[in-house]
Amino acid sequence: MKKWWNILPFFLLACEEPIDAPLNIVDSDVLVVEGLLTNQKINHLIKLSHPHTQISGDPIPATGARAGIFIDGELTYLLQENPEEPGYYYSEPFRAVFGQVYVLGIEYQGQQYFAFDASAAGEPLPAINLEQVNESFYRLNRPAGGFDPNYINHDIYWDQTSFCEQDTLCEGKVVFYDLKTTDVHEIYKPDKTDFIFPVGSVIVRTKFSVNENYRTFLRSVLSETSWRGGYFDIQRANAPTNLSEGAIGYFAVSTVVSDTIVVE
Amino acid sequence: MPVAHAHRSLVFRLAAIVILTAASQLIAIGQNIPQTLISIDAENLSLKEVLDEISEQSGLSFAYNPNRIDENVVVTYTAQNSPLDQVLKEILTPLEIEFTFLETQILLKPQKKSSKPTNKVTLSGYVKDVENGEALIGTTIFIVEIGQGTITNSYGFYSLTIPQGSYNLQFSYIGYEPVNEAIQLNSAENLNVNLKGQPPILEGLVISSTDPILTDAIQLGRTDLRTKQVNERAALLGEHDVIKTLESVPGIKPHSDGSTFYYVRGGDRDQNLILIDDAPIYNPSHMLGLFSTVIPDAINDITVYKGEMPASLGGRLSSVLDIRTKKGNDQSLQIWWNTSIISSKLGVEGPFKKGKSSYLLSGRWSQIGWVPKLASDEVDEFFFNDFTGKINFQLGKKDRLFLSAYTGRDSYLGLNEGIEWTNSAATLRWTHLFHDRLFMKSTLSGSSYDYFLHTDRSSNTRWKSHISNFTLKSDFSYFIEPEHEVTFGAGLSAFNINPGNITSDVEIRPPIVSIRNSAELVLYGNVENRLSEKWGIKYGLRLTSWGNFGDSFEFEFDADRNVIDTLNFTSDDSYGEYFNAEPRLAVSHYINDESSIKASYSRNVQNLHLITNSISPFTSLEVWLPSNLNIKPQVSDQLGIGYYKEFPKNGLGLEVESFYKIMTNQIDYEAHAETLLNPLIERELRFGTGTSYGVEFILKKQQGRLRGWVGYSYSRAKRKFDEVNDGVEFNAFFDRPHEFNLVLGYDLNLKWNLGMNYTFFSGAPYSSPISFYQFNNEEIPIYGQKNNSRLPDYRRLDLSANLKLNKNPDSRFKHGLTFSIYNFLGRRNPFFINYNKTDAGESQFEVPTNLLEKTRMPSQTFMFQFVPSISYHFNWL
Repeated sequence: MKKWWNILPFFLLACEEPIDAPLNIVDSDVLVVEGLLTNQKINHLIKLSHPHTQISGDPIPATGARAGIFIDGELTYLLQENPEEPGYYYSEPFRAVFGQVYVLGIEYQGQQYFAFDASAAGEPLPAINLEQVNESFYRLNRPAGGFDPNYINHDIYWDQTSFCEQDTLCEGKVVFYDLKTTDVHEIYKPDKTDFIFPVGSVIVRTKFSVNENYRTFLRSVLSETSWRGGYFDIQRANAPTNLSEGAIGYFAVSTVVSDTIVVE
Repeated sequence: MPVAHAHRSLVFRLAAIVILTAASQLIAIGQNIPQTLISIDAENLSLKEVLDEISEQSGLSFAYNPNRIDENVVVTYTAQNSPLDQVLKEILTPLEIEFTFLETQILLKPQKKSSKPTNKVTLSGYVKDVENGEALIGTTIFIVEIGQGTITNSYGFYSLTIPQGSYNLQFSYIGYEPVNEAIQLNSAENLNVNLKGQPPILEGLVISSTDPILTDAIQLGRTDLRTKQVNERAALLGEHDVIKTLESVPGIKPHSDGSTFYYVRGGDRDQNLILIDDAPIYNPSHMLGLFSTVIPDAINDITVYKGEMPASLGGRLSSVLDIRTKKGNDQSLQIWWNTSIISSKLGVEGPFKKGKSSYLLSGRWSQIGWVPKLASDEVDEFFFNDFTGKINFQLGKKDRLFLSAYTGRDSYLGLNEGIEWTNSAATLRWTHLFHDRLFMKSTLSGSSYDYFLHTDRSSNTRWKSHISNFTLKSDFSYFIEPEHEVTFGAGLSAFNINPGNITSDVEIRPPIVSIRNSAELVLYGNVENRLSEKWGIKYGLRLTSWGNFGDSFEFEFDADRNVIDTLNFTSDDSYGEYFNAEPRLAVSHYINDESSIKASYSRNVQNLHLITNSISPFTSLEVWLPSNLNIKPQVSDQLGIGYYKEFPKNGLGLEVESFYKIMTNQIDYEAHAETLLNPLIERELRFGTGTSYGVEFILKKQQGRLRGWVGYSYSRAKRKFDEVNDGVEFNAFFDRPHEFNLVLGYDLNLKWNLGMNYTFFSGAPYSSPISFYQFNNEEIPIYGQKNNSRLPDYRRLDLSANLKLNKNPDSRFKHGLTFSIYNFLGRRNPFFINYNKTDAGESQFEVPTNLLEKTRMPSQTFMFQFVPSISYHFNWL
C-alpha cells in the first residue's frame, strides 16, 4: 500500500517522463577507488577505475597501478591486478581486524594516493524478510534494523534454477541501508522498482558495520542515488571521499557477518 | 470536435479578443486630441455656451467645479479651423483658467494665484469605501489651488497643513469614482470622505487615470495590489492566490509550479517578510505550498516592497509583503462565499454599531480529503484550513481599536506518520490622533509557527520545530505640511526558536538541539519631504539591537569546525549581541507632472535565518535559527534608480527600475548537510556573499475596460562562498535572467470579465552530473561547477472568465462563476530532472531495487499540465 506522500504525484497532477537532455559531460581521468576490507579471511578487492560518462555505463578500468595495504606504516599486503578483470586488485587472504587502522596506498600514473580507515564493531544479522509474491516468486523486504549504522548486501542468484533463461543475467543485488540518520529526503524518498526472484534462488547476505566517516560517505551516496528524486530533494553535491590527492570513491574497513539462504 | 479541443478553441478565441482589444487601446494612444480643429464664432455668449459648442465639435466633455469657475462670464471669440488647444488657450487664459486634457475630458481649474502667506491650519480625516467602510489606503488627496497633496496611510487617514483659504480638494482612488470637495479652511477641520466603487467601464465612457503614487511618491520598488486584481486572474484549481499574483510582478520570481516560495531581486526565500496586520507569517503555504494562506476576499490592501522598505519596516533583506485585512463592514451585514474544487471560504462581516465598530469572521477549509483516502488506505488526515477574525471599535473621534487573529493548519497524516504545521498570528492595535497632525499606531502582535514530523502517532512521537514572537511597537506620523511628513517609532520583539527536537508521550527526551530565546529592539525615524516642485527626498535610519538570552547552550568551533567548547547559558545571561544601523535614502526628481526620476540606497539587516538545503518547491522540514555566536546577521546594501512616467490620457503608467544589491553573511551548506536533529547544525553552514543586479520594466493600466500590466526584467543572482564550489562564484537557484509577464483583465460586457496571464522566465539553474562512478553497485553522479545547467525555460498561459449571474446589477445578492484554465498550452515545465530512475511502466519512474539492472535514464518531473477549474462565489450585502 502506498504511503500518503507517494500519492502526491496524483494529487499534484504530476508526471515524470524520460528526457533526451544531453549531459554537460566533462571527460576526466580522476582515479576512482572502491575499496573494502572486512574481517573475513578472503582475497580483498580494491577496484580502481575512471568515471564513465553514460548513465548506466560501465566504469573505465584503471590498470597498471601499484597498490598495497599498510599496517603501522609497513606495506603488509601487496595488491595484484587480475589480468582477467582489469582494474580489479586483489590481496592475499587476510582478516582486517577490529581496532586496527589500515592504510591503502596506490601509485598510479606517477601519482601516489592514500586513504585509511578502521572498522566499527559488527552486529548479528537479523532474520531475512522474505515475502512470497506468488507460487514461484519472492521479494525482499527491509529487515529489522540494528542498533548501530549498518547495511546488508543481498546477492541473489537463480542461475541454477529453471527460471534462468539463456543469455540473461540470473542474479541480482539488493542493499538495505540503516544509517540511523534523520533526513527529509530519506523519509520521502522515491519508490523503488518491484524486484522479484524465483523460488530456489540462493541469497548471500552480508551485514557491514559502518563507522562515522563511512556513514557520512554512504549517506551522501544515498542522497545522490536511492534518496534522490522524491518531492523533497536537497541540493546536489559530490559525495565526500577519504582518498588523498583528488581521487574519489572510498576505502572502508568493516566488520561483517554473513549467511547464505536458499529460498524454498 | 473533441471536447478538450473545443474548450481550447473557445478559450483561445476569448484570449484573442483580449489581445486585440489591448492592441486597439494601444493604438488609441497615438491619437492627438489637442490638434482637433475647431471653428467657432461667439459674440457675447456665456462661457458655458462656448464650452458646449466646443464639446459638440470635439466630442470631448468639460469637467469643472461651477463654484470655482464662473460659467456665466461673457465671452467673445472667433476662430476658423484652429487647433483645439490653441482655441482653449485663447479663450481661457484671459479668464485665468487652466485646462488639462484627460482622456475624453477637459479639466478646468482656476489658475494658481500668488498670495501672501497666511496662518496655516490643518485639514485631516479618513477616506473610506462608502459601501463597507473599509479604509482606502493610498487614496490621493490633491489640492487644486496649490498643486500639492498627500495620500492616506494604512488606516485611510490623511492630514494636510496648509494656509487658510478656499480650496478645491480632489479625492481619487483607483477603481473608485473621484470626489471633489470645495472647502473654506479658516481653522482646523476634519473632513471624512466616502468613495464609491466604479462599475465596469464599457464603450462610450472611459475614465482613465494612473496611479499618482507612481511618479509622486518618494519610493522605489513598491508594488500595490488590489484584491480585484487577484480575483481576476486565472486561478490554479480555482484558488485565487495573492502570492501567485505577485509572482507576475517584475523582480519577483516564483520557485516553480505548485509553490508559494518566491524570490525577490536575487534574495533567498527566507529574506521575504510576510506581514498580516503587522504580525509575521513564517510559512505562508497550504497543501505543501500549492496555495498561500491568505484569502484574497478577506484582504483590504496588499503592498510589497522589493528591498527599499520604509524605515518602519525591516528584518528581512529582500522584501516585505504588507497585507492589511479588512476591518469588517461597518455599514451593514455582509456575507460572502467562495467555493472551488479544493476548498470553500465563508466570510461574515458587519457592524456592531453602524459606522463605529465592526467585525469580520472568515474561514477556509479544504474539501479534498476524501480523494487521497480513495487512493490509499494509509491516509488518515489530508486537509488544511484557516480562520481570520477581526473586530474594530471607534472609541471616539481620536481613538480606534483593532483586534485581529489568524490561524491556519495543514495536516497530512498516514496511519502512523505524517506531517503537520500550524500558523497563528494575532494583533491588537490602537490608533490615536494626538492632534490633527500627529497620528499614532501602537501594536501588540504575536505569531507562532509549528512544524511536526510524526514518526509514531500511537505514542505521539514527533519531530517538532517552532518559532514564535511577541512584538510591541509604536509608530508615529507627524504631518508637518503637505508632502512633508516625519515618521518615527520603536519596537521590541521577543523570539522563541526551537530548531527541531523529538517529543513523545512515552518518554521524556531532553532537547538535543539548543532552544533559543532572542530579543530585538528597533528604533527608527524617517523624514519625507517634497523640497520643491522638482525635488523630493526621503531619508531615514533604522537601528536594531539583537541579542540572545535565557537557558540555552551554544558550541564553539575551531577553524576546522571541531567543537572546542560548549557554552551553557542561564536565564540571566545574554550573548550573541549585534547592533546595526540601517540607513535609507531616496531622492525624487520630478521632470514634470507626469514623469520623475528616483534613486535610492537602503541597507537591510536580517537576524532570523531559515536553515534548509532543500531544493523542493514544497514546504519541507525546515528550521529557523537566530543570529548568535556562530551566525552573524545577514546584511544587504541595495542601490536603485528608476524612471516613472504617467500617460494620463490612456491611463498608463510606466516604471523602469534598476538595482544593484550586495549581500553579506549569506548562508549555504556543507555538501549533504544534516539539518535535522543535529545539535551541531551550525557546523553545516557556510557563509559567503551574494550579488544581484537587474533592470525591471512594467507598463501598467490599472483601470478602464482593459486593465493589467506587461512586465519584463533582466536580472542576475550570484553567490560566492570560500568553501562551496571551490570558492568560485556560481549562479543562485533563483538566477533567472529573463522574465516576461503579461497580465490582462478585460470587461467584455456587464456580465463577462476575461483574464489572461502569460509568464516566461529563464530556467532555474541546477547541478547536473558531468560523469558517474560506482560504489557497491550504486551509480554515483560526479558534479562539476555548482548549478552548471539550467532547467528548460518556463512558459505558461492561463486564461480565466468571470461570469456575473445577477440579472439586476443593483441586487444585494451578487453571485458569479469563475472559469480558469491553468497552463492552457499544456506546457511541460519541469521542476526536477533526475538521473537515477528507471521506467517502471505505467508512467512510473522509480529507483531500481536490483542494483545490477542498468536501465537508469534521465527523467523530468512536471505538474499542472492544462488544469481547468470552476469556482462559484456570492456576496450578500
